[in-house]
Amino acid sequence: MITDILKASVAASAIRLATPYIFASLGETFGQRSGVLNLGVDGIMLLGAFAAYYAVFETGNLLLGVLAALIVGMLLGLAMAFISVTLQAEQGISGIGLYLFGLGLSELLFQKTVVTPTPIDGFPRVNLPILTDLPVLGEIFFHHNLLVYVAFALVPISAFVLNRTTFGLQIRAVGQNPEAADAMGISVARVRYMTVTLGGGFAGLAGASLSIALLNIFQSNLTSGQGFIAVALVYFGAWRPYWVMGGALLFSTVNALQLQVKTIENALGINVPSEFAVMAPYVVTIITLIFASKRVEQPTALTKPFERGES
Amino acid sequence: MLSRKKWLLLPLILLMVALVVPMQGHTRSAKAQDTFKVAVVMPSASNDLAFSQSMIDALTAIDEEMGDGFEFVFQENTFVVDDAAIALREWAASGEYSLIIAHGSQYGAILEELAPEFPDVSFAWGTDVDTFGYDNVYAYEAGSDQGGFVNGVLAALLTNSNVIGVVGPIEVGDAKLYVDGFKAGVAWVNPEIAVNVNYIQSFSDVALASEAAQAHIANGADVMTGSAQMVVGAVGVAKETGNVLWFGQQSNQTELAPEIVVANQVYHWEVVLKEIIAQVQAGTLGGTSYKLTLENGGLVIEYNEAYALSAFDKFVADAVIQGIIDGTITYTLE
Amino acid sequence: MPENLLPTGHRRIEQMRMQGIVKKFPGVLAVDHVDFDVKAGEIHALLGENGAGKSTLMKILYGLYHPEEGHIYLNDQSVVIRSPNHAIQHGIGMIHQHFMLVPSLTVAENVALGLKSSRGLILDLEVVSKRIRELSEIYGLQVNPNSPIWQLAVGEQQRVEILRALYRGAALLILDEPTAVLTPQEVDDLFRILNQMTADGHALIFISHKLHEVLAISHRITVLRDGKRVYSIPAESATKEMLAQMMVGRPVVLRYDLPPIEPGPALLRLEGVCATSDRGDEGLKNVSLNVHAGEIVGVAGVSGNGQRELAQVIAGMRSITAGKIWLNNDDVTSHSPAAMNQHGLSHIPEARMTDGVIKNFTVAENFVLQNHGRKPYAWGGLFMNFRSITRQCKTAIKDYEIKTPSHETPIKSLSGGNIQKLVLARELSRQPRVLIAAQPTRGVDIGASEYIHHRLLEERTKGTAILLISEDLDEILALSDRIVVMYEGAIVGAVKRDAADVRTLGLMMAGSKVTV
Ligand SMILES: Nc1ncnc2c1ncn2[C@@H]1O[C@H](COP(=O)(O)OP(=O)(O)OP(=O)(O)O)[C@@H](O)[C@H]1O
Ligand SMILES: [Mg+2]
Repeated sequence: MITDILKASVAASAIRLATPYIFASLGETFGQRSGVLNLGVDGIMLLGAFAAYYAVFETGNLLLGVLAALIVGMLLGLAMAFISVTLQAEQGISGIGLYLFGLGLSELLFQKTVVTPTPIDGFPRVNLPILTDLPVLGEIFFHHNLLVYVAFALVPISAFVLNRTTFGLQIRAVGQNPEAADAMGISVARVRYMTVTLGGGFAGLAGASLSIALLNIFQSNLTSGQGFIAVALVYFGAWRPYWVMGGALLFSTVNALQLQVKTIENALGINVPSEFAVMAPYVVTIITLIFASKRVEQPTALTKPFERGES
Repeated sequence: MLSRKKWLLLPLILLMVALVVPMQGHTRSAKAQDTFKVAVVMPSASNDLAFSQSMIDALTAIDEEMGDGFEFVFQENTFVVDDAAIALREWAASGEYSLIIAHGSQYGAILEELAPEFPDVSFAWGTDVDTFGYDNVYAYEAGSDQGGFVNGVLAALLTNSNVIGVVGPIEVGDAKLYVDGFKAGVAWVNPEIAVNVNYIQSFSDVALASEAAQAHIANGADVMTGSAQMVVGAVGVAKETGNVLWFGQQSNQTELAPEIVVANQVYHWEVVLKEIIAQVQAGTLGGTSYKLTLENGGLVIEYNEAYALSAFDKFVADAVIQGIIDGTITYTLE
Repeated sequence: MPENLLPTGHRRIEQMRMQGIVKKFPGVLAVDHVDFDVKAGEIHALLGENGAGKSTLMKILYGLYHPEEGHIYLNDQSVVIRSPNHAIQHGIGMIHQHFMLVPSLTVAENVALGLKSSRGLILDLEVVSKRIRELSEIYGLQVNPNSPIWQLAVGEQQRVEILRALYRGAALLILDEPTAVLTPQEVDDLFRILNQMTADGHALIFISHKLHEVLAISHRITVLRDGKRVYSIPAESATKEMLAQMMVGRPVVLRYDLPPIEPGPALLRLEGVCATSDRGDEGLKNVSLNVHAGEIVGVAGVSGNGQRELAQVIAGMRSITAGKIWLNNDDVTSHSPAAMNQHGLSHIPEARMTDGVIKNFTVAENFVLQNHGRKPYAWGGLFMNFRSITRQCKTAIKDYEIKTPSHETPIKSLSGGNIQKLVLARELSRQPRVLIAAQPTRGVDIGASEYIHHRLLEERTKGTAILLISEDLDEILALSDRIVVMYEGAIVGAVKRDAADVRTLGLMMAGSKVTV
């Protein structure tokens, strides 16, 4: 009985914790597949989180909040695309710049508008007839807010777009061999603009999932570095949406287990130093990364700006 | 080639703008002759409803009291210690400030270095007791266990499930003191009650704090508390669940969830600060270490007026506060 | 079938004419008022030294570069070709000197890339595969639409390039050095396809440094030198010697004498070396080999039979699973490339664009890539001595006739053959005891090939032990004291220079054991 509750609560916890990572990592997957590394995800998440929060704070309209996050995220993605594609700036540095920008601006705006963390009414948990009332399974899968489902729904959609559409083929080609794509009449810049902008939108949604769905509050540095984990998860997932989701779930599950460590200790009569428990998600992630990865999808042109030979 | 380099400047400028924005200095109060000027660095946001805000609230209170004779500047979000070092050194070198406060135990090493370099400048830092033997350094700390004990007693009286959840950051400093005091308070009423403590090893991860609260609730907790700025996530969860009570710590967290917050232990650093200011004005630049207690009024249990606390429970709590102050109630921490 | 249609169903280009084309790059006039034309059913060959402007002219035709001056006419209509897309719409296809395929994608995906799908946004790979099969049928181009590119041999990859151009309706196809990386058999196969295409009414432009190929396949020949057109003649009236002289501007020797040299001690020794290939199978099987001072050992074989792995294990770039390697009598098994260098090894890698140079570095930086920390390029192992670097680099540019605006030009803007010469200059400037030369003249014009061959022979005279890996049998026969043949990762035969002839070597390369 107690273990059932434990399992259910850990699994449900993991699904919730994974949600912002899934949004952000999927978005980053698109960008990286086309050859652009955006390290500014965390900054975009923060501004997206604030935009969504502020929209809901002022209007109470949740859809408006989602829209605000999406637009803000896409605008920042567009900025990143401009810097990395058009200006061909060093992607790592500009990403960090974008992060600091998002961190600072979200904090500033928050202080100028809302001032203190004030809870809002975010997305409620859905109650599905029959499903939500299922024992154990109901708690794990059918008692989350809407954005959780949106995040998970985006996984197959992203995989489909990448693998089964002409646009996805262009993305993969541009990330692997931009010269070849160019020679085939594909605009490398256009594809990269689209993926990075889209990735920005996803990062904005990741922020919204925190501020108006899971936590229903905003605070300075609300994401506390989740955007960076999201970037790592893209490598972890070897640039494949399903693997990225697997990585996010694995990382979140170990994190959720870590929160239950006391309960587990009591049940098993052992004592785990909490530092170990906290390191666990990272350790597990790194170890899996070492063993599981088959890196054939690695975009070889990642971080490399493209310029046709002609000067 | 050259034009490429020029373009590179753009992200760099962006970066610099970004660096400047969050750590912007703030000045509150108008300038006047002969004012007592204070400068302070703090690790998190000045509105974090926790550690940093407790200092800002104190300075604002003093400002209101002293009016033109007082002025303060602060730099928030200075979680990078090196950035704090730059600000502190600048302030010390400017000779403009009568007192420079490093609000965060991580800044100790900087003060240890700065204090002998600027012997005419008075420094204060916390939370800690160490003045490094310098006579221009004050140290301050909070006896957080006291309010923790009171909160613990109330929590024990209010729980029905006999399971209480605590969300902590890292097991150090005043967070640890508070949690240990809280546990002692619960045990003082009923040692059978289970207090599940979860240190999430982060001061900032709101999402993890919120899941920690979910876990506590799943394990049957109906009363919770926590320390540090990431607990807003936990309060949110408690509020959403509806029937889980919350005890605040460091700042008054009532406004986060008026329906479920019972009481808060609030830090009033102004009690200590006023003493320090008086000392500095009298010419003593440091050498003493201070502590907030229930007795000196630095720690105050602020009840949530909106919560219908029974007369009996309130009576017990007040009696416990009095008992701690006059020494009739003593307890040992783990 | 109507007169003006190709078997693919696309319209023919009866005539393409480029007139007065000029293209400048910083510091170079790459194409200088060039006229060029090609007709349906004809192969027009373009010849010229490295950096003569052949690729540039063709990239202009394909819309990758835009000319400063000049006009292009298709079927007597003036057109402006703005982009590759635009060129494709006009029925122009191009097969680049460096293949333009995405290695991780399948054949069908590479072909579908950039095309409209019959199903809108969703890929229609089955439709594409079906059409690929049809085209394969028409032109006898065997490929499996579902194979990923990285699994294909070079010749197969080229077939994909051709198929892709045909798929897009290319009526005029530009082939920029298509044979540089092919085995003799693959070249024969390609020529069969090209002949069929011209018979069907395609117009083809063919670039190569191999004069016998040009003479064998083309109808007309145009020679460029320093960006200018110097000559155009029908192929029937051309000879090798005259073409060589027109390209280089002086007579060229096509066969060398090897002065007899008493070979010294074995400087490079391999014993029972095994290694795994990129595909995960046995790349090298129990290879034993000695190369003595003052000796050139030629390694012949069809590409993909372990030559690449052989060069890589000796250079320390690939780990070995069994066996031992000695350099200069020192056991260097499993040493790093840097350690190999220290032991006096120089390596001219086969994949020069990836292993030999750093694309965004300048010519001078690439020139000192391995020696930048040593005299005469640095003081005390730390500070670069730029003066000395510049001087040495300029000398090399002159000696090897490397065409570059300056030593500070990024190497990626040099023509293919000139990059090759730079790598060679660098490796030989290090005074090696042992030299591995993998395909040293691939993509290099005949003037420079001659120079490179002379340099290799000079090294031989100096007592360097040289391992020459080449798919060009003529080159192997011309330079080697001894020849070993590789087949499926093993050495299947060894012959002395005098005993070697093309026929037996060819048989051994095809896998039959021959003892001489
Ligand atoms: N993108 C570029 N930027 C600057 N210079 C270039 C660029 N592309 C080519 N060049 C220069 O233009 C000249 C002609 O180069 P091109 O590639 O057309 O030669 P090529 O005849 O194809 O030689 P190869 O036989 O070596 O392939 C060379 O001097 C080369 O350095
Ligand atoms: Mg060329």
